[in-house]
Amino acid sequence: MLLRNRFESGKAVKNQTATHPAPNTIELKIDSNPANLAAAREAVEQLCRSAGFDEAAIGEVGLCVNEAHANVIRHAYENVFDRPIVIRARFDGTQVIVTIRDWGNGVNPAELPPARPDPLTPGGLGLVCMEKMLDEARFEPQPDGMLLTLRRRRNRAA
Amino acid sequence: MELKTQSDLIPTARQDGETVFGVVRGEIDLHNSPDLRGALLTILTTAKPKKLVLNLNAVPYMDSSAIAVFVESLQKLRKSGGKLYLTNLQPRVKGLLEIARLDSIFVICADEAEAMTK
Repeated sequence: MLLRNRFESGKAVKNQTATHPAPNTIELKIDSNPANLAAAREAVEQLCRSAGFDEAAIGEVGLCVNEAHANVIRHAYENVFDRPIVIRARFDGTQVIVTIRDWGNGVNPAELPPARPDPLTPGGLGLVCMEKMLDEARFEPQPDGMLLTLRRRRNRAA
Repeated sequence: MELKTQSDLIPTARQDGETVFGVVRGEIDLHNSPDLRGALLTILTTAKPKKLVLNLNAVPYMDSSAIAVFVESLQKLRKSGGKLYLTNLQPRVKGLLEIARLDSIFVICADEAEAMTK
């Protein structure tokens, strides 16, 4: 089902598309405008909600997707707001798998020096969240950008 | 005294001596955190408070860009010996501050009344 110009959450986002290629799957083709952050996060959260994740887990997945998405805007695309981003999310029965593909500068956050331990120094909090809240955050350089894969099990041991 | 911020994110703020109380409303992410920054800078430059007490009861979500804005405000307040108090945190917001290790750097209070005792 093609949802032109509208995400599952019902909020209209100009010139963006959301599709549902299969049950428990969403695909968002959006541009790197920060105005799209909330709708993308909410779409993934809704998929997790439909898959039976508890509210705390939904919040954590949503936050990590937002942080990863924001990092693409700020770092991969250096705050240029009309570049493409494709976010796919699916639930495979035990975990949600989210991929974020960009065609940016290819900087691999996993290869950057670790954030300094001073909490008053900005930067790096998104990666910290992903490390603590997800089961996996894997950066795979592409010839023309980056593919980030995030995984979080529904029933995650404390 | 009412303070005007001209921001939907901090629709109301009032000054009582050296303390400013503000109510923050809405979800905050990279898209609107610049608005939050502008509103807080207006409060800090206009009122020059020693205590800035922000009620976040109506903030169900915020991301690291919002955290960066609060850190910047805290650093400006500290230059004049001031403090930043965050009250009425929703669990999701409190959890993010804990992961950022800022829960012991901001003064976290249950409500404005508690903030006035610290």
